[in-house]
Amino acid sequence: MNKTLLIFFITICFSSYSQDKTEVKDFFWGKSDTFKTVTKTPDKWKNESAVIIYKYEHYDYHNSGVKVVFTSAYRQRLKLQDENSVKEFSEFSFKNKFYSSRGYSYKQGTTFLGVKIVKPDGKEIEVDVDKDAKKVDDQKKIAINGLEIGDIIDYYYYSYEPFASLTQNFEPVENTLGDVYPIMSRKMKFLVEEDFYVNFNTYHGAPELKEVESGKKHTKAYELTAQNVEKEEFLRWFYPLVELPCYKFQVFFAKKSGDAVPYNSQIFLPKKNESFRKTVDKDDIFDYYEKKFHAVFDLGETLKFLKGKTFESEEEKIKAVYLFARHQYYTQFIESAVIKEADIFNSYAMYKNPDFFSNEWSFISYFMAYMKEFKIDYNIVLATARNNGSLDELLIQKNLTPLLRINTPTPLYLEYCNPFTTPGTIDYNLENTKGYIMDFVSNRTIANVKEVNLPSTTVKDNVTKVVTNVSMDADLSSLNVKRASEFYGHFKSDEQKDKLKFYDYVEEDYQKYGTERVIDKVGSKSKREQYNKEFDALKNKLKDIQKEDEKKSLSGEFDFEIENPTIKITNTGRYGDNSPVSYEEEFVIKNNFIKKAGENYIVEIGKMLTNQLEIDKKEVDRKNNVYMPFPRAFENEIVFEIPARYKISGIEKLNKNVQNSTGEFSSTAVLKDNKLIIKTVKKYNNYYEPNANWNKIVDFLEAAYQFTQEKVLLKKQ
Amino acid sequence: MKITLLSIITFFLSANMLFSQKALDPTPEDIQLAKSLREKYSKDDVAVLESKENITFELNKSDAKVVVKNSVREVLMNINHRADINKYEFYDSESSIESFILKYRNQKNTSFTIKDQFYKDNDLFYNDARVKYMDVDFPVQGYSYIYELEKKYNDIKYFTSLYFNDEFPVIKKEITVTVPDWLNLELKEFNFDGNTISKTKTRDDRNGTTIYTYVMENVDAFYKEKKAPGRSYIYPHVLVIAKSFKHRDKETMLFNSTADLYKWYKSLVDSMKDDTSLLAAKVKELTSSAKTDEEKIKNIYYWVQDNIRYIAFEDGIAGFKPDEAQNVFEKRYGDCKGMANLSKQMLKLAGFDARLTWIGTKHILYDYTTPSLAVDNHMICTLFYKGKTYFIDGTEKYNSFGEDAERIQNKEVMIEDGDKFIIKKVPASGSELNKEIYNAKLIVDNDKLSGSCSKTYSGESKTEFLNIFNSFENNKKGETLEKYLSGNDKNITAKNIKTSDLKNRDLKLSLNYDLDVQNKVSKFDNDIFIDLAYMDEYKNFEFKDRKTNYELNYKTNYESNVVLAIPDGYKLSKLPESLNVNEEDFSVLISFKQVGKEIVYKKQFVFKNAVVKKTDMAKWNDFNKNLKTIYNQQIIFTKS
Repeated sequence: MNKTLLIFFITICFSSYSQDKTEVKDFFWGKSDTFKTVTKTPDKWKNESAVIIYKYEHYDYHNSGVKVVFTSAYRQRLKLQDENSVKEFSEFSFKNKFYSSRGYSYKQGTTFLGVKIVKPDGKEIEVDVDKDAKKVDDQKKIAINGLEIGDIIDYYYYSYEPFASLTQNFEPVENTLGDVYPIMSRKMKFLVEEDFYVNFNTYHGAPELKEVESGKKHTKAYELTAQNVEKEEFLRWFYPLVELPCYKFQVFFAKKSGDAVPYNSQIFLPKKNESFRKTVDKDDIFDYYEKKFHAVFDLGETLKFLKGKTFESEEEKIKAVYLFARHQYYTQFIESAVIKEADIFNSYAMYKNPDFFSNEWSFISYFMAYMKEFKIDYNIVLATARNNGSLDELLIQKNLTPLLRINTPTPLYLEYCNPFTTPGTIDYNLENTKGYIMDFVSNRTIANVKEVNLPSTTVKDNVTKVVTNVSMDADLSSLNVKRASEFYGHFKSDEQKDKLKFYDYVEEDYQKYGTERVIDKVGSKSKREQYNKEFDALKNKLKDIQKEDEKKSLSGEFDFEIENPTIKITNTGRYGDNSPVSYEEEFVIKNNFIKKAGENYIVEIGKMLTNQLEIDKKEVDRKNNVYMPFPRAFENEIVFEIPARYKISGIEKLNKNVQNSTGEFSSTAVLKDNKLIIKTVKKYNNYYEPNANWNKIVDFLEAAYQFTQEKVLLKKQ
Repeated sequence: MKITLLSIITFFLSANMLFSQKALDPTPEDIQLAKSLREKYSKDDVAVLESKENITFELNKSDAKVVVKNSVREVLMNINHRADINKYEFYDSESSIESFILKYRNQKNTSFTIKDQFYKDNDLFYNDARVKYMDVDFPVQGYSYIYELEKKYNDIKYFTSLYFNDEFPVIKKEITVTVPDWLNLELKEFNFDGNTISKTKTRDDRNGTTIYTYVMENVDAFYKEKKAPGRSYIYPHVLVIAKSFKHRDKETMLFNSTADLYKWYKSLVDSMKDDTSLLAAKVKELTSSAKTDEEKIKNIYYWVQDNIRYIAFEDGIAGFKPDEAQNVFEKRYGDCKGMANLSKQMLKLAGFDARLTWIGTKHILYDYTTPSLAVDNHMICTLFYKGKTYFIDGTEKYNSFGEDAERIQNKEVMIEDGDKFIIKKVPASGSELNKEIYNAKLIVDNDKLSGSCSKTYSGESKTEFLNIFNSFENNKKGETLEKYLSGNDKNITAKNIKTSDLKNRDLKLSLNYDLDVQNKVSKFDNDIFIDLAYMDEYKNFEFKDRKTNYELNYKTNYESNVVLAIPDGYKLSKLPESLNVNEEDFSVLISFKQVGKEIVYKKQFVFKNAVVKKTDMAKWNDFNKNLKTIYNQQIIFTKS
C-alpha cells in the first residue's frame, strides 16, 4: 500500500515538473518571443567583448490564499565577440531545487535553466541541461557545449519559490540601467496580485515603469523597456546611483484584513487602497515613523555611572554617556564574542538578560529614554547616504539612517555606535546631505517632519599629518626611516579598523569603566585559569598575524618589501573628536631610492611621500562628475639628514605649488642644520566637483605625482 | 579562523553552562616539547608527534580485485600559541573512508562536526573526489589530539604511492606494509638518498605475510613554495606496484610490466565508440584548400587549439578514458584526452598516421620503466609523417606546429601501436627557441628619454604573450598592450604600436612602438644623470629560505639592447660597471659600452634549463645583489 502511494506521488511530481519545464521554455522562447530571430548587433559595438541583444527580467508576486509564490525569471541573449566572453559564458552553476527561507512554512522551490546557442548561420542548438549538468553538493554545474566566438548564447533562469506567510518583505533592488556589456534592448516586467505592495521608480533619464494590461483579474502589470544602453564602467570617486539612469524597487506582501494598516512592512506603504508607490515625501515619513520610536530602555547602569560625577556642560555629559554606552552596550561584549567564536567556552552563558545594542533602533531607544529622563531637547533625524542619491529620490526604506540631534548650544549629533565612533561625528556619507528632522511629542509619537541640512566637515577637520625622519646608514646604501603619523576626523575610522585589533582597545574601556571581564565571571578558579590561558594563546596568535599584516601593509605603501618594521600605537583616538589616532613606525628601506652616480648619490627623496594617485591616460578623459568621500588634507613633513661630507643640490625641484578651487598640492624645501626639510600639503576641498572641474583635480594630483619623482644629488665634498 | 567581532549581535543565551570537553591542559612536558618543536618548525602551527600508517591487502574474489586497507594513527600537537586547522581526507569513487575519528589526549572522542562535500579544484570543472573534514582548534600550546583513519581502496591500481611527508612536520613516521604471499608486490623507493630512512623486512609464517616497515624521523612538512618541482622529485616515497596475485593456483596479472599498463589503457581506448562521420565536413573544410600536407596538419591542429576549450571532468573511469571524438567536437570542449583523441581522429580522416599518446609531464619524475598509474598525467597525439615524429598537444594554445612545450620536453611518451606500444622521448629544445628581444634607440630629449622600440617574441615567450593578450576583452586589448609595454609605469608611454600578425603563430611576433620615459633624466649643475634601469628586469627575482628548486615556465632567453645617444655638448664621464655570470643553469651578461657618440647597454638573461637549483640559489642571490647595485647606478654626462 505504502509503496503504491509512493510511486503515485513520484509520478504526480514528475509530471507536473515536466509540464512546468515546457511551460517555462515556452514562456521565454515560445511563439511570442520577438527576439528569436534577432542576430545582428550594431556596428558601433563591433569591438565590444559581447553585446546584449535582449535582457529580460520578470517578477511575479502571486498569492493563492494558502501560499505565496514568488517567481523571478531572467533571460539574456548575447552575442559573444571574443575569447573572453566565450569563456565567461562557457560554464554556469545554479541551484536546482531549494528551500525558501521566507515565511514560516518551508516549501521546496524549483528552478529551471535553459540555454541555447545560435550559430552565425542561424542554426539553433539547445543545451540539454538535465543531461549535461553535474551535481556538486547543493549546486549544479554545466559546461556549455559547442560555444564559439561569433555565437549567440540565449539563456534563462527561472525560479519558482512558494512559501506560506502572512507578511513578507522582499529585498530591495537598486541598479543602474546599464550592464558590463552594451544592451540593445532590455525589459523588466512586474505582475503583482492584490495584497502585494510595490515601491518602484526610475531616475536620471531611465524610462518610466508603465502600467500595462495584465490580462488577469486582481493582478496589475508594470513594464519598463529601454533600448540602446551603453555599457557602464567603474570609475574612481563615483556614485552610479546618483547620476546614471537607474531604477529602484522593493516589494512587500501582507494579507489584507479590512482597512487595517499592514504591520511589519519595511517599505513605505502606498496610499490607501493602492498597491504602487513612486515617491516618498515628508508626510510619508511621518506616517511611517509616527509610532516607530520608543523611549524605552533600562537606565539603571547609566544612572550608576553618572552618580557622583559632575560635568562642565550638558554637552560634555551627553558625550560621556555616549562613550559609556558604547562600552556598556557594545565593546564590553567583544571579548565574549571572540571567546565564543574561538570555542574557548560558552561565554554568553555568563550573562543573565544582557542589554546590548543589537541595532541602530535599540541605540536610538536608549538615548531617547535618557533624554526623557533628563528632559533634554532633541530631535530624531533620518538621513540617507550620499551614494544612494538625493533625499528627493528616496524610495527604499532601509536607505534611511536614524540619528539623534541634541539641541545643545552647538547641536550635537549622535549616531549608532561601533567601537570607534565618537559623539559629534557622523558617518561621512551622511554629511552635507539633506535629511528629515522630527520632533518627539510623547513617548511614542513624532510631529513636525521637516527637511534639514546635515552638518559638513572641511579640510581642517579631516587631516592626516605625517612626519618622516630619514637618514642614510653608514655605507650609504639604505635609508633608516622614523615616521610619526596622526589622523584626524574621518581619517580615524579606517586607521582604527586597520591598525587596532580588539585587544588594542577593549582594555582601555575596561579600565575606564571598571567593568568585570567575562572570564572573571567564571566561578571556578581552575576554569578561569584555563580560559585565561586559552584566551591569551588566541591573542598571541592574532598578534603574530597582525605583525605580518603590518609588514605587508607598509610594504604595500612603497611597492617593495620593507625591512624590520616596528609600530607603536600612541593613541587609539577613541575618546573624543579632537583626539587623533596616532602611531610611530621605524623601518629600513634597502636597495631602493638611492642611486649611485660615481662617487655621488642621487636620492629619490620625493618617494618618501609614498605612492600618490596615478591618473592614467584613460582616466584623464573623464565624463562624469566627481564624488569624494569627504574634504580632506594630507600634511607631510620629510626631514632628511644630509650625510657628513656631502653637499645637497637640486632642492629647487621640490618646490611645487598648484592651488585651485578643488584643492591643492604644494611643497616647500629648505635647508637647516644640515637637514633638508620638506613640507607638503595636499588638499581635496569639497565633497563634490562637477565634471568641468576634473582637470583642476588632475592638475594638483599630477603635481603630487611629479613631486614623488623628484630627486636630490648628494655631492661628495 | 574567522573572528567576527560583530557576531555579538546574534547573542545566543543558553540556560545550561556548556563547558567544552577540552579541559585537558597539556602537561608541562608537552608545553616544553611544543616550544622546542616550534623553534625548529617556526612556520608550522602543528606537528605530528608520531604517525603510524598500516597497509594491508585483501582479495575481493567476486570481481578479482585486490583491496587495500590503509589505517592511520597520528598524534597531533599544537606547537604555536594556538592552532586552527582543517583535518581532512579525500576519497572518490574508487575509495571510501570507513572511519574518521579525532580523540582527546584521554582517548575520549571529540565532538567536532564532520563535514563531507565535493572537493572543488579550480583546474577541474568537475571531479568525483570528495573530502571529509573537521575544523579543529587547539586552544593552547602543547595541546594534542589523536587522529585515526581507516580508508579502503577498492582496487590496488589506484593505490600508487606512500609519502613520509605530510601537511605538518612529522617527528616520527612509520609505514608498515603487510604483503600476503598471494600478492606479488614491488615497493619501489624514490629519493631515499640523503634521507635517513630505516627499512626492515620481517616474515610472518603463521599468517603467510612479509612485513616491510619504513621509519623516518623529523620529516619536514610539504613545502608550500610556488614554482616548485612535482612532489615525486622532492620527497622520499615508495611506489606501490602490484604485479600479480594468485587465487586457487591461478595467477592474475595486474601491472607486472609496462605492457600490462598499456593493455589496460588500450582496453579503455577499445571501449570507445568514435564516430568520425561527424568530423568529416570540418576536416574537409580545413584541408581542402591547403596546398601542402603541412598546411593541412596545421589547419587541423590550430583549429583544435582555437576552438576546443579545456574543461576537465575527472569522473571515475573518465579520468583515464578519453571522451569520443564526436562528443568533444560537438561540445567544443574537452580535457587533454578528449583533445588528443579529436586531433588524432581529425588527422586520420585527413589521411595522416596519428596516434594517442600517454605522457607524464615534467611534473612527474617517473618514466615508463615503472608500470603504474602514477607514471602519466597527460595525453597528447603523436603524428608520424615522412619518417618524422611530431607531438600534437591540443591543450597548448597558440603553440606552433613542431614546437613542444617545456612541460612535455624530454619526457617519455607511450604511443599506441595496436596491441604493442612505442616508447619515445619528446625532444628537448634550447632556450634560443624562446628568445625575447627588446631593442630601444633613445635620445635625451630635455627631461625625458625618447625614441623607438621593438620587442620580438618566439617559441614559448610568444605563446605566453598571446595567451595573456587574448585573455583580455577585445575593447581592452589596445589599452592593455600599452600598459604591458610601459610596465604599468606612469613614467613610461608606449604609443604608435604596430604589431605583426598576431593571428599567425608560426611567425616571430614583433611589436614596434615609440617610447617616452619621464623622470629618468636628472640635471644637476653641469651634469646629466641618466637612469637606464627603467625596466628593472629580474631586480626582485631573489630567493629567501627556499627549500626547493625554482622552475621557470620555460627556458627563458631574454635580451635587451638599449642604445642611447650622448647629448650634444656633453661627454661621457661615468658608466656603470658590467657584469658577467655563467653558471650551469643560468648565464647573465650586463654590459655598458661607449661606441662613438652612443652608449650601448646590453643585457642578456638566459635560463638554459628553466630552473634555478636550490644549490645555486646562493650564487643567484649574490649575482642579484650585484645586479641591484648596477641598476642603482647612473650614467653621467658632463658638459664638454
